[in-house]
Amino acid sequence: MKTLFTRRLLIATAALACLSGYAQAQNIRIGFQVPLTGPAASDGKTALQGAQLAVEQINAAGGIKGRSLELVALDDQTQPAQAVPIANKFIGDGIKAVISGSYSGPTRAAAGVFQEAKIPYISAYAIHPDIVRAGNYVFRTSFMGEVQGRAAAKLIADIMKKKRVTMINVNNDFGQALSAGMKEAAPKMGLQLVSEYNFGMGDRQFGSIVASVKKDDPEVIYVSGYFFNGGPLVAQLRAAGVTAPIVGTEGFDTVNFVQIAKEAAEGVIITTSLDRDTTDPTMRKFIDDYKKRFNVGAEMVAASTHTAVNVLAEAIRKVGIDDSAKLRDAIGATKNLSSAVGTITFNNSREVYKAAQIQVIKGGEFKRFAVIDDPVLLAPPNY
Amino acid sequence: MYYLDLLMIGLVWGCTYAMMALGLTLVYGLLRILHVAQATVFTLGAYAGLLVANATGSLALAFVAAIVSSCVVGVLIYRWVYEPVLDKPPFVPLVASIGLLIAMEDGFRLIFGPYGLSFTSNPWFATMVGFGGIQINLVQAVLVITAVVSIGVLGWVASSTRLGVGLRATVTDPAMAESFGVNRVQVRTATFLVASALAGVSGLLVGMLNNLVEPGMGGLIAYKGLAIIVLGGLGSVSGTLLASVLFGLIESFGTVMLDQVMDRDAVAFLFMLLMLLIRPQGLLGKGR
Repeated sequence: MKTLFTRRLLIATAALACLSGYAQAQNIRIGFQVPLTGPAASDGKTALQGAQLAVEQINAAGGIKGRSLELVALDDQTQPAQAVPIANKFIGDGIKAVISGSYSGPTRAAAGVFQEAKIPYISAYAIHPDIVRAGNYVFRTSFMGEVQGRAAAKLIADIMKKKRVTMINVNNDFGQALSAGMKEAAPKMGLQLVSEYNFGMGDRQFGSIVASVKKDDPEVIYVSGYFFNGGPLVAQLRAAGVTAPIVGTEGFDTVNFVQIAKEAAEGVIITTSLDRDTTDPTMRKFIDDYKKRFNVGAEMVAASTHTAVNVLAEAIRKVGIDDSAKLRDAIGATKNLSSAVGTITFNNSREVYKAAQIQVIKGGEFKRFAVIDDPVLLAPPNY
Repeated sequence: MYYLDLLMIGLVWGCTYAMMALGLTLVYGLLRILHVAQATVFTLGAYAGLLVANATGSLALAFVAAIVSSCVVGVLIYRWVYEPVLDKPPFVPLVASIGLLIAMEDGFRLIFGPYGLSFTSNPWFATMVGFGGIQINLVQAVLVITAVVSIGVLGWVASSTRLGVGLRATVTDPAMAESFGVNRVQVRTATFLVASALAGVSGLLVGMLNNLVEPGMGGLIAYKGLAIIVLGGLGSVSGTLLASVLFGLIESFGTVMLDQVMDRDAVAFLFMLLMLLIRPQGLLGKGR
């Protein structure tokens, strides 16, 4: 009896193993690096949802040459030190292409590992310049930080017609890249940087900075940082009676920012990649489908990972996933692909050009304020 | 005026630290445990208060919820986590404490989601109170008052009541105190009650200041609290209070004066390193 049972168990196990092996051979697996725990877990969840939606849409439309896409997500905890072992795990598991749905620090750390292993790697919304400089297997489907900083300078000078700017930056890769772009463009636009303050990603209380901004009395306040910094900061600025307009970045592009800052969020203007009032069919479809699938409004992070998955899927459709050099070239050849963040084309440095979406918060919702479509100012560098 | 503002902000931050560090130093004095998991109690107080405030609209009930929940959990941590390992070497309860902190942080994330929660209505944050030309909001004012009052009351309890005498006796010589009829378990439970209530209330107040209650909010303040009690001279209550206020002031001035070089936390820890090089026994600690 016992042997019979054991034998049945063995057969069942073997059958299962075959099945799962079969499924694995059938599915095209792509790696997805994402912070599911740690300080950026909330953006991580949104990032994963954007990528999931893209995969579901592709599979519902018949997959890639009859094979389904499968997302293999690993948690990097937003820690560079954690990003390297999980990059190696992707490689060890035989994953042939990976997308980063994480922040600049961990993405930059993993980029070198994937470059070394010659595995195409796409940064969905991490903006530090050095990520893509890791080498020719690394791509980015969003703005470089500098480019977004330049867009903010143009916004302040040409659209808002203001001059005296105070910058408040988060002191990591994200904030440094943005402030570098702002500093580079400011003198050309006639902006005057009256003061600059830095804070850590963990900061939620900005009393000293608020007091200093009050003293400096700028016409505009430019804030980098994430919603969990920006929400409390904007609320504290307004509570202290600072009325100067606030310009933020894509780090504020989430409903959580509005929930934290409440009325103080009204009128805050951000530079981002997602236009809620778009009439572009691809962007519109993404916004509507996302809302239907997850029952929350779409955010920049989700639009970016959705775009990265589609860029990769298009390339796999052309050349398959097995030859990494061919796949790399196919990604690099992406041209005029219409995506959730607009129409994108890679330049020779594996960066994209796209228009900057300027959104303003009105009645607690993100609305279109302006679109900056300036191919010279917003050109990603060629190196 | 600007410097007065910074001074005031430093004082507010110092009071926040004092409310956390006081509990840590009491627990350390009594049990020689570095109670890192107090950060869990801090976060729990914030969540409990926020949920009750959002459900009932009453801030009074929110404070009751914060205090009750943090007291219950604080005492349970003592009974279930520390008591079984008290006779082990000191790193055992420390590791248990750190483990609990990490586990609870992800526990909060699983239960309440990763996004953090905000108050539907946060009236104290929007109410400004001014005196002598300085404006602070009501949350900050309440924070300072709560810290000063609770520290004053604790000082009185410790010096003038039977419980306080028992506490001090147990700190000095547990065996001798017990033979004189001091109930050791009662004293320890009382200590954890006080430490946890302070942590829970400060958690709720910090949550109101940030208008954001998130799973990881206790982590940083826990480690800062440890730095403060080390700086104060382990187990020294007045040293801890002094170090808390110093930490707050150093941070409030350092954030805007040294921000190009290092952030608020780095400023604080650098200060601690320097001080410990000069006075290894801490500000008011006794030399060994």
